[in-house]
Amino acid sequence: MRRREAGAAHNGLDEWYWQRLSAVVLLVLLPLPFALLVGVYCGRLDQLGLLDLLDSFTSRLLHTALILAVIAHAYLGLKMIIEDYVHTAGLRVPLIGSMLVLTGISGLWWLAIIWAWGG
Amino acid sequence: MPDTSRHESAAASRPLARPLSPRLSVYRWHVGMIASLAHRASGMVLVLFVPFYLWVLHGMTASPDEFDRMQRMLHQPLERFTLWVAGVAIIYHFCSGIRFLCLDAGWGESPRMMRLTARIVLAAAALAAVVLGVLLW
Repeated sequence: MRRREAGAAHNGLDEWYWQRLSAVVLLVLLPLPFALLVGVYCGRLDQLGLLDLLDSFTSRLLHTALILAVIAHAYLGLKMIIEDYVHTAGLRVPLIGSMLVLTGISGLWWLAIIWAWGG
Repeated sequence: MPDTSRHESAAASRPLARPLSPRLSVYRWHVGMIASLAHRASGMVLVLFVPFYLWVLHGMTASPDEFDRMQRMLHQPLERFTLWVAGVAIIYHFCSGIRFLCLDAGWGESPRMMRLTARIVLAAAALAAVVLGVLLW
């Protein structure tokens, strides 16, 4: 009888595809928040300038895409790390499950913060 | 031969002792492995950076006093260090991610090229660490 491990088997290609897709989104979007923080840190951006950049539909949309990509990429990446290093299925499956719940809740909380800006 | 068949069925019922990856204590350390482990480590740093960024941004978009408080906080040694670590992690994960995407596309798959690109990515991160350190301090 064929033994099936969680995370292996048929969903491997799907996960690979989503991880690469989210990687491309992050490649474009992730440097921007860092640049924004450095801008404030160096004093090149004051609060009005920051709000001008953030308080727009485009910015909210970009942040939403960033968060969804982070959630997908982080979940798949951490799942892979857990699958590689945690060899006991009884520990691995609950760990992956709790991570899914945690990333889902954080994602919703972050989206709520972003869509409440200036509101 | 009854003995042989008993041995075979016992071996088949035993769980296979396959080597589970990655066996850090068994594999010989090489530059590709270091680059791959650093990609995972920088990814974990970035998972923590995004909530930090959103928390800082949440404060900065509140009252002007809160903005000033956050700006002062960013100049504290620990927050400055956090910004530096996050910056280095972003640059490393960014370059290493491009390397992995190229490998997926079939570019630079020879062992020599894999070693070379791993060295380039690590060198870029080391350079970024120095430049960012100078900029932030």
